[in-house]
Amino acid sequence: MSEIIMPKMGDAMTEGKVVRWYKKAGDAVKKGEPVLEIETDKVNLDLEAEQDGTLGDLAAQEGQVVPVGGVLSNILGAGEKAAPPKQKEDKKETKETKEPPKEEPQQRRTTDKKDSYKHTTGEYGEAMEMKAPRVDRTAAPKQGNVVAMPQSGVRRRSSPLARKMAQEMGVDLQNVQGSGPRGRIVAADVKNSGGGQAPSPVPQLETKQIPLSAMRRTIAKRLAESSGPIPHFYLTVDFDVMNLLSVRQQMMDIEGVKLSVNDFIVRAAALALRHHPMVNASWGDDAITQHGEIHIGIAVATPEGLITPVIRNADQKSVAEIAREVRALAEKAKNRKLMPNEYQGSTFTISNLGAWGIEEFTAIINPPNSAILAIGAAEARPVVVERQITVRDRMKVTMSCDHRVIDGASGADYLKTLRQYVEQPLRLVV
Amino acid sequence: MSEKSYRDAIREAMMEEMDRDQNVLIMGEDIGVYEGTFRITAGMLKKYGPRRVIDTPIAEAGMVGTAVGMAMLGLRPIVEMMTVNFAIVAADQILNHAAKVRYFSGGQVDVPMVIRGPQGAGVQLSAQHSQSFESFYAHFPGIHVVTPATPADAKGLLKTAIRGKDPVVFLESAALYGMKGEVPDDPDFTVPFGQSRVAREGNDVTIISFSRMLQLSLIVADKLSKEEGIECEVIDLRTLRPLDLEPACASVARTHRAVVVQEQWKPFGAGAEIAASITERMFDELDAPVIRVTGEDVPMPYARNLELLATPHEAHIAAGVKRAMYR
Repeated sequence: MSEIIMPKMGDAMTEGKVVRWYKKAGDAVKKGEPVLEIETDKVNLDLEAEQDGTLGDLAAQEGQVVPVGGVLSNILGAGEKAAPPKQKEDKKETKETKEPPKEEPQQRRTTDKKDSYKHTTGEYGEAMEMKAPRVDRTAAPKQGNVVAMPQSGVRRRSSPLARKMAQEMGVDLQNVQGSGPRGRIVAADVKNSGGGQAPSPVPQLETKQIPLSAMRRTIAKRLAESSGPIPHFYLTVDFDVMNLLSVRQQMMDIEGVKLSVNDFIVRAAALALRHHPMVNASWGDDAITQHGEIHIGIAVATPEGLITPVIRNADQKSVAEIAREVRALAEKAKNRKLMPNEYQGSTFTISNLGAWGIEEFTAIINPPNSAILAIGAAEARPVVVERQITVRDRMKVTMSCDHRVIDGASGADYLKTLRQYVEQPLRLVV
Repeated sequence: MSEKSYRDAIREAMMEEMDRDQNVLIMGEDIGVYEGTFRITAGMLKKYGPRRVIDTPIAEAGMVGTAVGMAMLGLRPIVEMMTVNFAIVAADQILNHAAKVRYFSGGQVDVPMVIRGPQGAGVQLSAQHSQSFESFYAHFPGIHVVTPATPADAKGLLKTAIRGKDPVVFLESAALYGMKGEVPDDPDFTVPFGQSRVAREGNDVTIISFSRMLQLSLIVADKLSKEEGIECEVIDLRTLRPLDLEPACASVARTHRAVVVQEQWKPFGAGAEIAASITERMFDELDAPVIRVTGEDVPMPYARNLELLATPHEAHIAAGVKRAMYR
């Protein structure tokens, strides 16, 4: 009779798990035949019969963790009686005391002799890892056994298109059943999965206090200063941006640079300010200051909060220059690398939530500016042109004005000029 | 337009160019008195005489080497290989001389010549005479590799080859010589290199092919459309070097699946290059691996039944399409 014990696969190993039994108690086994699969923290491997015979009772169930040296079963030779395998130590006790088994099981590995040369080259576990990939026994379930689906986080087979679609549709591939070869998830499976209705993990909510950062304090103080004492009023316009989008595309194609709609709006707003110095102004207790230069603040969202880096003399810069500068400043802002001279001294501010799909909103003036533009998303909308309903790309813009500096009519005049620049975008590039 | 065979379209291209340019001449084995083993050069000796239609000894390296010298000095020789298989003997002249002279001369010397002839299986010429060489030649920079699938393309591409200033390996399909199709009559009709075409439109799967397999793919596409409702888009590559994969990639962006069909053996074939390029460029668009349909990995048998088994046939292509569609 030979015992099958949990082998020690390296100095660090204290226990191993029985993954599955390939044989039942009473089954005939041949020397070298795999009897069960075990799992260590490093590797899964098969334990093989040391001799021909009949497999005795199974002392450990599938899924059970057994300490190193623990008896798993035994193999009875011809004529030997089946006896319940004796455990050398009580399993629980061993686990609780966490003492390594006294008996060194090195000499009792239940492996085929053919593998024995590997023992001399390093740890057995390493040798196993160096072997050619193990046959994946989970791929072809026998007798209709249900193969455990990969656990959450495990990579599922899927086509590149299926992955792309899943990402776009917000579908978690873990919830999709694959219909392709070897369970591959293909595009049709993602399409049929019900789109974004698949439950996405809901973040755990918890009550917690977030200490005020210096930045958050400043945002709060300055915005309160703004909406409190500044008498705001709001003017909303709806610009046609079809031409602008087309010019933008052409410029990107020709110059090979990325330009956002906002880069055009910055230039348009700056040029329009030249015609309306009263809007490019600041309230003071004794006097209103009209600024001789046009510095446009751009509201940038960062993980810590809002900050407004400044494009200086924006009216003198091309759209491409503005684009480059905005990109660089936004990058710095996100990394908290902005220098004070890069976010102070604006004379007018633009906040754009178009990328978030906001149709229109109102923004709070960034003092000492007298006005701020809130830019919504450019999107195709039905509009009436010459009493006909037609679809155009439109963009809503709301200007918040400090009524102490700007009156309704002068604000409206500014927006009228802005409209000319936005709707006739060649003015921005020639 | 008039209906012509692939064979006649090739002859017409050569004769039109010989009429147009005194520097164009043709040389090869049995092309003059015997009028060509595949009768491509029928009537040419009579019309142009032995100075421009030259019967050569059985010496491919000598033929191509002579032509390289002629081309370097300003003539425009066409070398006919009885089959392209025999050009292996001249591989050094083609790959190390024709393809390299401009480079070695620092751009001073062009080699405007065409090496043309039949290749491929389907006409029971056995293992040494039925091979396909497109990937062999297309591997090397310095030469164009042309693989026409229709009479019109055979004519238009051959005229481009003769008029160009580069060495061209022009691979005709022996099994297509008798195929007829509409061919433009305009003596200045040419087909540029490096412009693949959409031979059939469809939205379900993209078949990419060239030469004879393109014709087979079109037959399969019609059959699948009628019998299974599968609409294949079929792309004809026309030239493998330069290789234009734009229409194929644009198609894969719609169909998300591609099948490459070639007569040649699978390992290291043109299909491998095409499949790899599509995977590199269109990875995120693919819903299935790019499938290759190819000939069997054996020397071509002589026996008719075995030759049929060793080359891709309709059922192979249909099976490849269905694999790409998970059907």
